[in-house]
This record gives sequence, structure tokens and C-alpha cells, in this order.
Amino acid sequence: MTDENRDRLDELLQDAALTYNRPPDERLMPLDEIWASVEAQTFPAARPPSRSAHWLRIAAALVIGVGIGRLSFILGRAKPTSFVSASATSAANSSAPVSSTATAPTQPLDPTTSRYLGQAAALLIALPTETNGARPDQAFMKRANELLLTTRLLIDSPSGAEPALRNLLEDLELVLVQVVRLEKERDHTRRTEMELIQQALDQRDVIPRLRTAASEYAADD
Amino acid sequence: MTRTAFALQTNPKVNEPELIARVLAGDRLAGRELYDAHAPRVYRLAYRLTGDAELAREFTQDTFVRAFHRLADFRGDAAFSTWIHRITVTVVANAMRKVRRLRERETDLSDLDTAYPASAGARRVDPDLRDRLAKAIDALPEIYRTTLIMHDLEGYTHTEIAGVLGVAEGTCKSRLSAARAQLRAALADFAKEYET
Repeated sequence: MTDENRDRLDELLQDAALTYNRPPDERLMPLDEIWASVEAQTFPAARPPSRSAHWLRIAAALVIGVGIGRLSFILGRAKPTSFVSASATSAANSSAPVSSTATAPTQPLDPTTSRYLGQAAALLIALPTETNGARPDQAFMKRANELLLTTRLLIDSPSGAEPALRNLLEDLELVLVQVVRLEKERDHTRRTEMELIQQALDQRDVIPRLRTAASEYAADD
Repeated sequence: MTRTAFALQTNPKVNEPELIARVLAGDRLAGRELYDAHAPRVYRLAYRLTGDAELAREFTQDTFVRAFHRLADFRGDAAFSTWIHRITVTVVANAMRKVRRLRERETDLSDLDTAYPASAGARRVDPDLRDRLAKAIDALPEIYRTTLIMHDLEGYTHTEIAGVLGVAEGTCKSRLSAARAQLRAALADFAKEYET
């Protein structure tokens, strides 16, 4: 190879520096996103929840928890039994999409169950804000795991024999299993998993079912 | 040669030993400061080596997670930047072996150029020749490719590359020379065009 060719290779490599696997400008690098993931894995205890997610969770827990608590109280006084539409879906076909008024508990809920349902709804409402494309923090995942465990215990308990409640618990279990799995997903598959969770929430109307039930009974009280 | 100039120099305003001590004590803000000082160069190198934004993101994340978890092992014999770049190169090399096994290169180089268009400074090079060179760089043995990318594309010095790769400076130079020789051979049938 001649000196001229050597120079030509240098020229080509100069061009390659500007074209070959060229990284984006620094301002376009996803450095904050990456830090969020690094921070969650490295400083889990120190990571403060975002202010909006924190308040959202508290507000959701209060609204839904109070609503469901009132629902329990009302049901306990044997008030309306017609809030569940006639099309209540049985546990046997729980995989089919249901409408927002399709299923809700028809029997009085004990305070523990009411509180648990409120907490589950609050967690699901906070999920998109909490994950935001990154790995959810450990406290959030711990809560999701606890709620999943409670859900399974309730399904196997006498309360779980009530068809509408069982239907709701099974839908919650399905979603919570997906949420818990988020922790193990890699970043590029986590987004897909989040979409699937969102689909499950939408198709089964899990959150609206809780909210509708709570609000209808609160208004009826 | 125009250098993209990303030498492994520490920002003089950052007192790294102090930052590292604070990170070891669990100080999240110190961790962020250390991250900010090095993440752009780590991401940039990961991107150069992978050519894939998602992989670069994942490998940058893995690099810092590993670095923070092993920070107690960092003795300060080399600069922190050298140490973290060494982790980057290892993370990328190990992961890319798996990635290559799973899939052939899916993204056409022209698509990558569209994602992050060549800067205005790019010379007018025959697109076929540019593509040929890119494929030749891809086909280099990993140790040659990493050396060439770090030196000729990212502007690291031989001393810095030797520190990152844990080899002698002479080894680094001979690897670069061998990499260039392979590129020349791969582009040999364009040689007549060079001469005309």
C-alpha cells in the first residue's frame, strides 16, 4: 500500500468517526433515565418517591378506601343488592373482557378486605407514574408482592367463594403477577410488559370497577 | 486526524476520592455527581461499540450498577475513569457475544445514519465505500475493533486504551496497526480508485 493509500484510509477513518455508529449529542442521551435505574438498584433505600406519585397514591387510597369502606358499611346494613349488573361474569370465564359495571362484590366486605382493595387500587393507579419506563423501586415492588400474596389468600378464603368478589380478585391477581414480574424484566422488555398490564387493566376494567362500586355506594349512602 | 476528543481526563472541579468515599457511605447525591462526570463518555463508547441506542442504554446502566456495587474494590491505583471504562468494555464485550449469537445485525447502517444523521463535518465519501468500511470494522476481531474505535473514532490515546484494556502500550499500538492492515485488505479492491 502506498503512502497515498495510507492517507486515503486515514481520510476514510475520519469520515467513519462522524458516521460509524455515531452516538447522539449528549443532550439527546437518555442519561436521566439511566440514572433512575442505576439509583433504584444502587441506592434503593435513599430513593425518595416522586412527589406526584406519592400524593397520587395517598389520594387514591383515601378516595377508594373510604368509598369501599362505606360500601362495606352499606352492604352491612343490607342496602341495595342490585349494584352489580345482571351480566356479572363468573369466575369460570374471567379471562373475557368485562364492562366497568360487570362485577363487584355483592356481599358486605369486611374492613380488612375493603382496606386491601383500596390499597390494590392505589398501587395500580400509581403504577404508570412509578415505573415511567424504569425499574420500579424496591418499596413499590415489595408492596406489589404483599398485595399479590393477600390476593391469593383471599381467593382461597371463604370470602373468595362469593362469585363477584372472586372474579375481581382473580383479575387483580392476574395484573399483580404482571406487576411483580416487572422487577425481573430488562429495560427493553419492561415497556412491552407495561403495555400488557395496561391492556389487562383496560380490558378487565379493574380500577373503574373498584371506583364505580365505591362511588355508587358513597352516593347512595 | 480529527479527534472526537474524549480523553479520560477527570474534571478538575470534581474531587473524586471524596466523592467515592461519600458514595461508599451511601450518599446518593455523590453517586449522581460521579455518574454525571462519567456517564456521557461511557454511553458514547457503549454506543460506538454496539451501534444500538437501547443496548448502549442497557450497558451504560449495567456499567454503573456494577461500578457502584464494586466501588469498595476500587483502590485508586488507576484513575476512576480508566476503571469505569474497563468495566464498560467488559460489559459490552460479554453482552455482545450473546447478542450476536441471538441475532444477525438487524439494523442497516443507513438506518442508523438516519437515526443520528452524520454531522455537517462528514466528508463526501462514496456511500458504497463508507458501507464497505463499516462492514470491515464490524468484521474485525473484537480486540482490534475496540482498539480502533477507541483510538481512531473516539480519540483515546494509546496510554489510555492500554489502561482500559489492561495491556501494554506497545500491544495497543500493534493491535491498531493490525486492525488498519485488515481494513486495507478488506478495501483492497478499491485501491485502484484511490490511485486514480
